Amino acid sequence: MDFLAMLQKVGFVDAQMIAETGFNSTPKTRGMLFRAAKVASIVAEKNKARGDLLSKYQEFFEETYAQGELDRKTKHLIALGASLAAGCEA
Amino acid sequence: MDSQISIDDLNKIEAGIRQKYSEVARSPEGQFQYPTGRKGLKTLNYDKALIAKLPDAVASSYCGVGNPFSLGKINEGEKVLDIGCGAGVDTILAAMMVGPNGLAVGVDIVPEMIARAESNLKMTGMENVSFQTTSGENLPFADDIFDVVISNGVINLIVDKEAALAEIRRVLKPGGRLMMADQIAVASVQKDIQGRVASWFQ
Repeated sequence: MDFLAMLQKVGFVDAQMIAETGFNSTPKTRGMLFRAAKVASIVAEKNKARGDLLSKYQEFFEETYAQGELDRKTKHLIALGASLAAGCEA
Repeated sequence: MDSQISIDDLNKIEAGIRQKYSEVARSPEGQFQYPTGRKGLKTLNYDKALIAKLPDAVASSYCGVGNPFSLGKINEGEKVLDIGCGAGVDTILAAMMVGPNGLAVGVDIVPEMIARAESNLKMTGMENVSFQTTSGENLPFADDIFDVVISNGVINLIVDKEAALAEIRRVLKPGGRLMMADQIAVASVQKDIQGRVASWFQ
């Protein structure tokens, strides 16, 4: 496994191979510069994940109620009927 | 890491590396296929003003494979860890960058290298530097304490690279940066173990 894959595997973010250094230890190896970071804050990371999830749900919602064989209003009325039949009153 | 290498072979490789670097600790001259010492530092475009401050005996022990400081700025007051610091030239340069309110720590698995680093440090008279003999796979530091980890031509020599990288990430603060120079294989490596041990660190 190469360095970049390993850096990502152990949890680094923004892992990048930047440039050759020109200093090679053997004819079969190259000197190389690498950069990576530890994510700035776990809270920020979680919020980002939550944001991603919310936008995925939004996409799903829009797709479901999009104008198709049935119009948007009919779909909403079916959903309302189904949720009342399921005993959902909230 | 190729799976056909046995633990026994890995131990041989590690012993070979320790032997080589205990010799490098005396002088890197003639031990590498690239420029070492002050010439190496100049070729790799290290900060001229900083390398001018290094005593000759300190600069002559440099044998890095790249300039990790070219990857980003190190700020005043930061804490820097140098993994596989060798004779400590990068550690001492990092200490100059962070200044008296910052700290630079160098670790290396080879005791002779740490001894050379300590004697180099004495020649500079700097106080914001410390060195420790330890394995990169098991760092004696708490979580989240370093702003920057630097490393120069070392991770490729570590037997369990993944463990070493995980340890680096553990001791970095959130938002901390890893800046490293290293050797990567560009052709198929030696498959027979004799050749592998012999060429691992050339």
